[in-house]
Order: sequence, then C-alpha cells, then structure tokens
Amino acid sequence: MILRLPFAIRSALPSPSLPLHRRPIRSPPASALSSLPPRPRQEIPLFLRPLAHSAARSDLDAFRRWAKSLALTAAPGIAAAADGGPDADHLIRELSWLVQDATSEPEVGDEVRLRVGLEELYRLWRERIEKRRPFQYLVGCEHWRDLVLVVREGVLIPRPETELLVDMVAEVEGFQEGLWADMGTGSGAIAVGIGRLLGVRGKVFATDLSPDAVEVARFNVERYGLKDKVEIREGPWFEPLQDVKGKLAGLVSNPPYIPSSHISGLQAEVGWHEPRLALDGGKDGTDYLLHLCEGSASALKPGGFFAFETNGDKQSEFIADFISTMWGNFFENVETVLDFAGIKRFVTGVRR
Amino acid sequence: MAARALFRWALLPSPKRLAPPLLRTPRSRLTLAPIEAFSSSTSTTNSATNYLRLTDEELMALCDIDTFKASGPGGQHRNKRESAVRLKHRPTGIVAQAAEDRSQHKNRASALARLRKLLALEVRKVIDLNDYTPPTELLQILPAKSTIRGSDVGPQIGPNNPKFALGMQALLDLIYAVEGSVSEAAKILGLSTGALSRLILSDDSLRMSVNGLRTSKGMRPLK
Repeated sequence: MILRLPFAIRSALPSPSLPLHRRPIRSPPASALSSLPPRPRQEIPLFLRPLAHSAARSDLDAFRRWAKSLALTAAPGIAAAADGGPDADHLIRELSWLVQDATSEPEVGDEVRLRVGLEELYRLWRERIEKRRPFQYLVGCEHWRDLVLVVREGVLIPRPETELLVDMVAEVEGFQEGLWADMGTGSGAIAVGIGRLLGVRGKVFATDLSPDAVEVARFNVERYGLKDKVEIREGPWFEPLQDVKGKLAGLVSNPPYIPSSHISGLQAEVGWHEPRLALDGGKDGTDYLLHLCEGSASALKPGGFFAFETNGDKQSEFIADFISTMWGNFFENVETVLDFAGIKRFVTGVRR
Repeated sequence: MAARALFRWALLPSPKRLAPPLLRTPRSRLTLAPIEAFSSSTSTTNSATNYLRLTDEELMALCDIDTFKASGPGGQHRNKRESAVRLKHRPTGIVAQAAEDRSQHKNRASALARLRKLLALEVRKVIDLNDYTPPTELLQILPAKSTIRGSDVGPQIGPNNPKFALGMQALLDLIYAVEGSVSEAAKILGLSTGALSRLILSDDSLRMSVNGLRTSKGMRPLK
C-alpha cells in the first residue's frame, strides 16, 4: 500500500491568519473560529512511523515509571476539576497504548526499537497530563470499530457511540448498492465504515467544510483502499451534493450538537483541543440537526433512510417530534435509537 | 461479519423463540444439583437449548451490555475511550467483560468469546449414562488415539480453536455425570486415563473446572 501522507510540513509558528472556511449554511459564532487552538506542527501518526529510534529497555522502563507517577500525581487535580476527565487507571491504560504505538512487538533483548525518540515520549506524556491534550492527538490515531483512523488537531476524534451509525446503515435492506452521504465527515470514520460494507455499485459521498477534515478523511479513505467507494467533497452539508439530489439511499451525520452555552464547561480534552466547529450546535445545539432534517426531504430518494447522532435524550425527542409534526408528509418511521449507555442518541427515519 | 452481528441486539427485541435453558451449576461448584431452575422444562434432549449453538447475534440478544461508565452525557462531550465492555447473560447471570483493547468493537468481540467459554464451563446438561453417545463436538477435541473416534471426525480441535468450547462443554457434562472420575470418563471416551488427563490439563479453565468438582467430591486434583 502506498502511503501518501497528507501532512504538509508546516512552520512551527501558528499561521498569522486562520484559513477562511466557506461558511456553513448557518455559520458558527465568530468566537468559534477565534477560540481554535493554533495548529501545531503536523506529524505522521506514531504507529505509521519507522522504527528509527532505539532505547535501552531499562530507560524505557524508567519512562514508564515516571509517566505513571506523573499520572498518579495529576489524577486528584483532574478529578477536582470535575469536568469528566480521565482517572488514574484510565491514564495508565493510555500510557500502555502510547508505548504500544511507539514500539514494535514482540521486543526481546535489552534494546528496544522505537518509532520516536525517548525524549519525545517524555514530551508527549507531559502534554497529555499537563495540557490535557487528548491521547488520540498524541498518537495521531483512534481505534474505532475495527479500524485504526488517523486523526489530528482540527478534526473531531470519532466517538464510540458513533460506531452504531454504521450498523444502522447495514440494517437497511439493499444498502450495499445504494448511494450514501456522510455529512460533516470529520476524520471520515462513518464513511470509511460504510464504504467497507458496500457492494460494487454502492458509494458514499463524504462532505466537510473544514479543509483539515477533508485532508484527514482523504488519507483514511486511501489508507483503507476505498477511493472507489468513498468520494470526499469539500463544502457544507448538502451543498456539495447537488448533483445527487433526490437520488440518495441514505444520509448519516454526526453534526455539531452541543448547545453553545455548554462548550465552556466541556471536558478539557474536548473543549480545549477539539475543533469547536465540530461541536457547537448553536443555542440549543439543534441548528445543524434541523438543517439536516429539512434538507433530507429533497436529498433522499423515496424510501431513503436517515440516521443522525444527537446530544441525547431530550434533543433526540425534540428532533423526532419536530420532524413528525412539521415534516410528517415527508418522513415516516421517525424514531429515536439508544446508544450503549441507554441514552437516546440517534434519530432515524425514512423518506416517504 | 461477526462484529456486525454484535450490534444487532440494540435494534432487535430479544428472540422469543428460544427454548428455556437447562441447568446452571452453582459458581461454587460444590454440588451437581441445580440451584437455579429456569422453567418447568428441563428436558435434556433438545440441543437448541444450548447457548453455545446460538449465533453471536442470538446470544447478544440474551445479554445486557454496559460500557463500564455509562454516566454522563457521552457522545461529543466525552473523550475517555470508554472502550471496556461488560456483557451480562440474562438467563444465567453470567458476566463476561473485556477492557484490554482500544476499540470497544474488539472488546465486544472478546467479551462475547469469553462469555461462550464461561457458558461452556458453567451451564451443565444432565446426562443419562445408560443411553449416552458422545456428541461430535466432544469427539472432535479428543486425541486421535481414542477408540470411539472415527476417522471421519477430522483433525483434533485444540483449546485455541473457538469450536473447542462446545466440546469442552460436552466433556464437562460427562465428567459431572461420572462425578469427577477421570478414569470412568476415559473408559467411555475410549481413552487411557492418562490421555484424558492430558486433555483436561491442556486448557486452564477446563482443568480448574474439573479440579473444582473433584475437590468438592474429596478427590485429588489433577496435576
């Protein structure tokens, strides 16, 4: 497999002006863009780097001990912040994953080959603990379904709940040969998940208005050899889908759905590091969800299926009620679907 | 495809057509007597009541599934890799969990494999020794030198093969029926006592289960 890395070498300094995104149909508040963290130097995900470094096993063990004690020391402070951050056990599990990604197994002997210098491991773990930088950005990937997806700052880290969207699609009769769209694809997770299940005539269009997302999604699609199955299109929501309007067998999305007022109280890993563009759903969190539901009426073909992720119970119920009340002539079988924690996480329905 | 089946539980109601389960031995394994009977039907003839014969999808439908920390809003709010999965098999109360993988998806598959093994170890079927023919699954895990094992059974299935659980379950059914006597079970299976002992010792959970029974009967554990 040829790995064409989308990671341009960038200056270590943040660029003076943020890239101008094409505005979404309902643009996020201006503060969303100004609060984005500066884009750091982009790097190849840890697990894809060559084993170009090495260290004495005893030095790697010393790193582990240091990292563990740093985690144990920091844990009470993280708990006190009460933002839902990781506890010590969780951090220690992440530490073992970090070492897993940085080494090759099985390693025997006193010398351990590494994908990154030992000093870099120290730096990364410090960032994890002191800056609450998400583990997935540290290593540049997230394990999701049976996939290992590349992620980086500027792109939402796919969540376990979202895995279910792919299964809902796979339950639709004849889904394999249909045209699908994943709107706001981010890392491309859902699109890649669906793309792998499609038949010869099936296809997924994955849209995103963020150039970062487009770049990362494209990389993930290519890494899984799905260029023929998943087509990435840059632009907001339905805008890049005009040519397939009324022809889609299904639409899925995990749009930004967190109410704006909740953003400041988010877990530090999320609020400080993940793109607000992918999280902030406007005042009630429903701006994009409503836009998606409305647009689905013309984008889907008769009998077409939609499934959208939501903020949970109340929001799902609100959206389901709203669709049934306002657009009842367009949709049928509108319902909410539980996630693994028993929260009404998704709204699904069928175009009449 | 198995992985996909794991999810279906969330979308389908539990199948009603499944026959009630048989007996479950107590966790202490101090007695052969069933402590939990699940319905009046304890017929031992219908193999459809064997949970291990269910597809992943059917088995999942009988389970409650939790991620360990279901509190909080979840979704986009969280970054915590809550990938650990805990399956509780409702009919027997047996719990299997997996947390070692980074993907919840893979942990679900591991938890399910573990559940199958636990079901094999803990759900006992009562055997009538006067009318007993070892099932094919049991023959498949026996070494080739067994005199009752025809050549059509195929190569021996080892403990690392997922099919081993079914054979192990049938072997335990037999060993419980002979009250832990390895020599008696060996006779029925056309093996020397030593050969059957080696088979039992080849899998840790099988060994522990047999030794638990033997200890409860005042017999020496196999080593």
